[in-house]
Amino acid sequence: MKLDELYGRRVLFPQVDSFPLNDSRLQALPTLRVTSKNIICLRCGTVSNKSVVAMPRDQYYCPECITLGRVSTLDKFYHVQEPNQFVIPEQILTWTGQLSSLQATTSEIIRDRMERHCRQLLWAVTGAGKTEMIFAGIAAALSRGERVAIASPRVDVCLELYPRLQAAFANFPIALLHGREKQKYQYAQLTICTTHQLLRFYHAFDNLIVDEVDSFPYAANRALLYATENAIKPDGGLLFMTATPGKELIHQIQQKKLLVSYLPLRYHGHLLPQIKIHLAFNWRKHLLQRRLPARLIKELRLTLAHHHCLLFVPHVADLQPTFLALQRVFPKIKFTTVHAADPKRLEKVQSMRAGKYQFLITTSILERGVTFPEIDVFVLGADDQVFSSSALVQIAGRAGRSLKRPTGKVNFWVNSYNRRVREAQRQIAYMNTKGRRLTNG
Amino acid sequence: MQEYKFQGQYHLRKVFQEDLRRAVSNLEYDLLVPIPVTDHTMKTRGFNQVTGLLEGLHYTELLVHKNKQKEAQSKKDRHSRLQTKQPFTIKQSSDLYGKTVLLVDDIYTTGRTLYHAAALLHEVGCNRVQSLSLAR
Repeated sequence: MKLDELYGRRVLFPQVDSFPLNDSRLQALPTLRVTSKNIICLRCGTVSNKSVVAMPRDQYYCPECITLGRVSTLDKFYHVQEPNQFVIPEQILTWTGQLSSLQATTSEIIRDRMERHCRQLLWAVTGAGKTEMIFAGIAAALSRGERVAIASPRVDVCLELYPRLQAAFANFPIALLHGREKQKYQYAQLTICTTHQLLRFYHAFDNLIVDEVDSFPYAANRALLYATENAIKPDGGLLFMTATPGKELIHQIQQKKLLVSYLPLRYHGHLLPQIKIHLAFNWRKHLLQRRLPARLIKELRLTLAHHHCLLFVPHVADLQPTFLALQRVFPKIKFTTVHAADPKRLEKVQSMRAGKYQFLITTSILERGVTFPEIDVFVLGADDQVFSSSALVQIAGRAGRSLKRPTGKVNFWVNSYNRRVREAQRQIAYMNTKGRRLTNG
Repeated sequence: MQEYKFQGQYHLRKVFQEDLRRAVSNLEYDLLVPIPVTDHTMKTRGFNQVTGLLEGLHYTELLVHKNKQKEAQSKKDRHSRLQTKQPFTIKQSSDLYGKTVLLVDDIYTTGRTLYHAAALLHEVGCNRVQSLSLAR
């Protein structure tokens, strides 16, 4: 182990063994706080009842963040305070693209707030070009010698961000950290990681950016929120990015704890397609008899004449019946199903992109992070509780993403209207009102 | 088992307790003896995975490890496992003569661990040594 692996990190080590490094900057920190009834994990903040997590000889552990190595009273954290020991290259931003004037304005606001280490939210619609808008802020922070990280709850998002960031900051080594990466940890000025990996950092970042804050498992996960706060230096800045902020973030905006910048228009300047609702009472029962709503078949037929599309269903178990029902209706059309655990998932998505399939029947796995240009979007059973309102906004946001076809159909079929569906429509309408105001001056 | 023993999720001991209790109650013995862990394991893992499973039963921690720290059996291959020397000693050997002992371990692979323990117990006069393990 090298000492720089401990810069701004906390490494678990048994108290009984002697730590392999010796340096005056090395600090040994406690792992848990033990009170009379509870223990509080100092890595993830989880409070556990003492009697549940007691081991022999009055020792305790945290059951919550165990996949990153068990935090227990038998261990200590070894830590070195972040020294910002970086060699800063001459040329910082190697990205040469152009921002639209709207994007440029937002980009400047973000850069200024990052410089002042604010807590802020970038609320930009799906397909607004969020990543490009933060380049200026990151570049300025790097030139000040700051340590910066971009974290996302989704591995897929990290994997997608990495090559884009590496191209934009070609002279910086970037550390990419996630659970599936077996690569060894390396100290770097710029880090891309899953939000889970933030649990390993301690007062490391001068500016931390969290992308797709509303997505699973970050939203409403207190351990990850705790880790986020711990990963930032006490005076560091925090930038959340999302197209669909949840209640908690909106509450923070209202309480003025979070500055917000809106970008209600997509990079091509068009409004978001609004969701159209159709009732399909007891659709699942009909589906088992291989029948789909007549309107769904009609809309699919209209779309497939000129375009491709995605058809979302709530559960993996709904995929096959839907597939069989549609095979009867469209015997000549190429399509397939895809879900999270599908071993051919990446292959199928690739084939869809290449035009080998005319549509995919999918679970919410394709709700975000994937772009198929010029598609329409259908959801069967949009009122199912697996679809949060933010997931529905994200799904709707798959349509109309290309300059060639900036509009698209978004049709949902529901058993009944519910709060989440209405909230999704409301959020789209809200951003479109803001967008209209911008375009009309 | 991986999560219980190696990740150290001690609360998972409850998952196996009922099955083990039922198995133990079907056997006749004078002494119920868990395979011990080293002192170092107690200070890093924090518990003996075998006694965790036996919680609520009356058992006797008769065996102890000679060495403070050992190379874990689970990190060795079959051949070097079979080469392992006697790792245990007996705490007190007074009234063991003619006794029936039930040895308990979590995982049975080559049987080397249990064989060593049984040999030691026979040496000090135990009449019969049986073994029970949760998995193999």
